[in-house]
Amino acid sequence: MLKILIPTLLLIPTSWLAKAKWLWPTTLLHSFIITLFSLAWLKNTSETNWSTLNPYMATDPLSSPLLTLTCWLLPLMILASQNHLAQDPLVRQRIYITLLVTLQLSLIMAFAATELTMFYVMFETTLIPTLILITRWGNQMERLNAGTYFLFYTLASSLPLLITLLALQNKTGTLSLLIIQLLGPIPISPYVNIIWWTTSLLAFLVKMPLYGVHLWLPKAHVEAPIAGSMILAAVLLKLGGYGMMRMMLILSPLAKELCYPFIILALWGVLMTSSICLRQTDLKSLIAYSSVSHMGLVAAAILIQTPWGLTGALILMIAHGLTSSALFCLANTNYERTHSRTMILTRGSQMILPLMATWWLITCLANLALPPLPNLMGELIIISALLGWSWWTIIFTGAGALITATYSLYMYLMTQRGPVPNHMISMNPSHSREHLLLTLHLLPLLLLVFKPTTIWGSAY
Amino acid sequence: MVNFVALVREHWVNILVPAGFVIGWYLDRLQDQKLTTFRNKSALYSRELKPGEEVTWK
Repeated sequence: MLKILIPTLLLIPTSWLAKAKWLWPTTLLHSFIITLFSLAWLKNTSETNWSTLNPYMATDPLSSPLLTLTCWLLPLMILASQNHLAQDPLVRQRIYITLLVTLQLSLIMAFAATELTMFYVMFETTLIPTLILITRWGNQMERLNAGTYFLFYTLASSLPLLITLLALQNKTGTLSLLIIQLLGPIPISPYVNIIWWTTSLLAFLVKMPLYGVHLWLPKAHVEAPIAGSMILAAVLLKLGGYGMMRMMLILSPLAKELCYPFIILALWGVLMTSSICLRQTDLKSLIAYSSVSHMGLVAAAILIQTPWGLTGALILMIAHGLTSSALFCLANTNYERTHSRTMILTRGSQMILPLMATWWLITCLANLALPPLPNLMGELIIISALLGWSWWTIIFTGAGALITATYSLYMYLMTQRGPVPNHMISMNPSHSREHLLLTLHLLPLLLLVFKPTTIWGSAY
Repeated sequence: MVNFVALVREHWVNILVPAGFVIGWYLDRLQDQKLTTFRNKSALYSRELKPGEEVTWK
């Protein structure tokens, strides 16, 4: 564990001491080296599932794919932000990289924590660098509003969790995940059980986000700079799913009175948010709502608590992390050339940047879950798990899958096809950096087709 | 010689992250050894080893 954490920590002095000319190449190279070593986490040989133990942190098949995804995202964010920050003063570029590294550090510690208090502290710590990223490097005035929404939605929902954790510590004497799974059911009255359930899961349901408490997400995504959008879609939302899977351990028996409405709300959210996507004009907002819709499926799958549901949720989280991050990168390449996120103003890109259109096609197909990709594997497993739970869910999940395909097609057609507007005649050609960035997003997706068990978690 | 000094001045920061890896690797190994001795002593894992078996836990 420290093999990764200490080098990541030392990336901060590296980014401050590197010569101006070498700042971006050096940090990129070293973050890639860290990523390479983090791949070792995926190989789990332990019988107890927990490996690379130290007193505070460990990895297991549930956290290791998310940890590797976190490490994978840092070099990609550095690669994606270079053009965006080229005009900034050098000090500000260094601060930016420092923030990204701090975010990675806190995310690694959150995913690897074996103690729920540490998980909670790190869960909250991730808010600070993200908030600074959104409010300092966002492009428009509305970024301040987006920052407020982001902070207060997450903070207000996670304070009850803190109290729950303190109460649990008081009752059982431990918050260690290694011990909690061995405890029996905690004797509490049915009414308290309902409050217990709500306070434990609310923070994660808001972070996921569940339909109804999702308003912070499109705002944060639209206003954040490219790296902020990437990490938010790829990893920060998954923190919610991961936290839910961990907290479910102590929530047996489940409060049915609360479980049903939340599953229905999540599935209804899949339909509603994908329908919202169909009438979006803003490209980044469309991708953000598509994230909400996919995470609705994940939330429903986790809430039914079957092995298939948990496996499908983990697969979809990883696959969606890579796909949505790739979509945000593509949206950014358009934005950097046209300085507009409105799809109707940036039509016909296929004529101008043909290779980029190929990337758009592949990523849109991944987003609508094309057969060999892990996206389809995750959705299929979730849909069958939900179908086994109740026949009625097929109406929501089926319609959701159909609308997902429709809006992915709509996004592709609106940005790539159609007449080229007159104001788009002179555009920069695409950089090799951008092609590398997209390749590095889609390559892991393709590789996971050949060895899907790496992201199946421990429940299958 | 001057070229070498210039090279070091320009690129010495590249040593930080690999050095961090070495330190981390060393500390991880110390921790593993500590936990291993603990597990070897624990009653939970104490039994006769089968032929060819290295440890009772994995």
